[in-house]
Amino acid sequence: MHILVVDDDPLVGEMTLAMLEEAGHQVQLAEHGLDALERLSEDASIELVVSDLHMPLLNGLELFQELRERGLQQPFVLLTGDDPAPLLAREPGLSACLAKDAALEQRLSELLAQF
Amino acid sequence: MPAASQDSFQERKRRLRASFIEQLPDRLRQARALLADLTSTGRQDEPLTQLHLIFHTLKGSGASFGFNAINASAKEAEQMLREVIDGDRRISAPLLADLRRHVQTLEELELTVDSAMGNDSHPCFDLRRQANADAELTAHNRLIYLCDDDPLFAQDLSEQLQCFGYQVKPYHALDDLRTAVLTQRPAAVIMDIIFPEGRDAGPTTIAELNTQLDAPIPCIFISQRDDFQARLRAVKANGRAYCRKPVKAVEMAELLDQLTSRGNPEQYHILIVDDDPDVAQFYAMVLESSGMVSRVVSEPERVPTVLEDFDADLVLMDLYMPHCSGPELARVLRQIPGYLGLPIIYVSSETDAQRQFKALEVGADGFLTKPIEPERLVTEVHLRAERMRTLRSLMIRDSLTGLFNHNTILQLLKVALASCQRSDRRLCLAMIDVDRFKSVNDTHGHQTGDQVLMALGRTLRLRLRESDIVGRYGGEEFAVIMTGLDAEQAKGIMDALRESFAAVTFLADGTEFHCTFSGGLAAFPEYSDPSALIEAADAALYRAKHAGRNCILIAHHQDADGVSALTHSS
Repeated sequence: MHILVVDDDPLVGEMTLAMLEEAGHQVQLAEHGLDALERLSEDASIELVVSDLHMPLLNGLELFQELRERGLQQPFVLLTGDDPAPLLAREPGLSACLAKDAALEQRLSELLAQF
Repeated sequence: MPAASQDSFQERKRRLRASFIEQLPDRLRQARALLADLTSTGRQDEPLTQLHLIFHTLKGSGASFGFNAINASAKEAEQMLREVIDGDRRISAPLLADLRRHVQTLEELELTVDSAMGNDSHPCFDLRRQANADAELTAHNRLIYLCDDDPLFAQDLSEQLQCFGYQVKPYHALDDLRTAVLTQRPAAVIMDIIFPEGRDAGPTTIAELNTQLDAPIPCIFISQRDDFQARLRAVKANGRAYCRKPVKAVEMAELLDQLTSRGNPEQYHILIVDDDPDVAQFYAMVLESSGMVSRVVSEPERVPTVLEDFDADLVLMDLYMPHCSGPELARVLRQIPGYLGLPIIYVSSETDAQRQFKALEVGADGFLTKPIEPERLVTEVHLRAERMRTLRSLMIRDSLTGLFNHNTILQLLKVALASCQRSDRRLCLAMIDVDRFKSVNDTHGHQTGDQVLMALGRTLRLRLRESDIVGRYGGEEFAVIMTGLDAEQAKGIMDALRESFAAVTFLADGTEFHCTFSGGLAAFPEYSDPSALIEAADAALYRAKHAGRNCILIAHHQDADGVSALTHSS
């Protein structure tokens, strides 16, 4: 699957990227929400977005809302350092919201297996 | 990083972790510098937020990279800062000391790549098994048992429900049903009330079964009986719904959707209008904690704009606001087409019944008096939103397909078009019509015809985007409103739907048959008012029928002559 990873922390972003590539996906990295928006509107082949929540300028949630506003319907997975449940309740359109913890790798790969 | 992707995953992880350890002192130096600037006097929002962000990031990346020690310390520091930021934003001396201590702990950590690598191998069998169990659960979620002593009726309703994606097994005898439930538990049971065994044999059987089961089985009762006794029996047998015969398959499917919670049970959307942001946020928090979705607006003048994209089930508004009072805002809303039925509840400390009544006169639906306890707020809002949804759905939906009815789709077209005009977005209207529908009815009977319409309605609703609006325009004609797409894109989508609908096999009296539909598309801005759009889409549909059916055509102004020529020739 062609996946776009969005994270303003280049190290964490690359970690996620490595994880997804290991699982056999084709992955691009965007360093912030605006970068992601640009890539998504230019490259229609991206099938899924995995984004960090906390980012300067455009955060993960705003990125998601902006995408939907523009009619882009790719499944969107949000990663957060906080408790994911309230976020998911606030934005039920998200495909998933995962906590950044030790089990993230496991859960992300399980989640992607469903798409 | 082209070389990187050739490394093994373990290698890359190792490299990334090493970089993270390398960068950590720098991040902590930044935190120290910010801490040094913070003093225990006055407000310093900027450094406070920055510091919070540093700890927040550390917490997240620490966890991602498997450094649990970082995660633990950063988490505590982040939590403290969050509380200060959300609170009075005052920085106390003990807080500063605590934060310094956390930075120090982090600085003293002796992190090695290998220790983190060691954390990687988590046992994961349990998780896998759980995932499998979930998958099985979803499959079972579609299994429904239907028990009615009239075999023809049971067979008929079962077949109709199959169109909605349920696997329905009909039973005529209570004993058979009993055995079936005990052998394999279905997601729900649809049960008749009257059986040869007795006038209440249905509920009695379910009540008996429930005593033998771990959890009561979700049950919908159906009956010709409409007396209180029957309804009471049904409720006592844990019946979740009661439908009088004749039963409509689409209603039954909706009930089953709710009962087996397929998809997300839709959350209620509540708009909160209060000039005091703190009060508004409090209501929002209370409602959201019980699973509702809320949006807060502090300026009344923004309400109409917000409502355009926040599909509110209910508006909770303050009675007294500067510039525009609650009743005034209610009156404004009632004058906008589409919001006449929107429930409005005032929240106020006004206890004078006379004045409350006056406020209600302009068309609000209720009054909640401050101070209001969180539980009561949730209950009042939930009850009203729920009733509103049911009422609204009865008023605006077509009873056969569950889609919007003729009047509603016209109204929605107006609203959507106006919104697109304002925001300069595209809009497409597609009119589609089942090909040779009359012959389906003539050959296979009306019930089969109805099934075709239900299946088409379901296909449209499930396959289109949530933002697309689908309605039954009349007879076998459907209307679809799509925003943000041009005519070619919309045609692409409709063509895909057309092909998959043509592939559906229908069964009637043991014979298989297929159905197709034709469609006409008209786009805004080429056509700029609702009636022009409808007329153009209809004309294109007409051309599609003449072009041999089973196709979608786009309306353009230059076609007008061609259409009239065709009209005259036929």
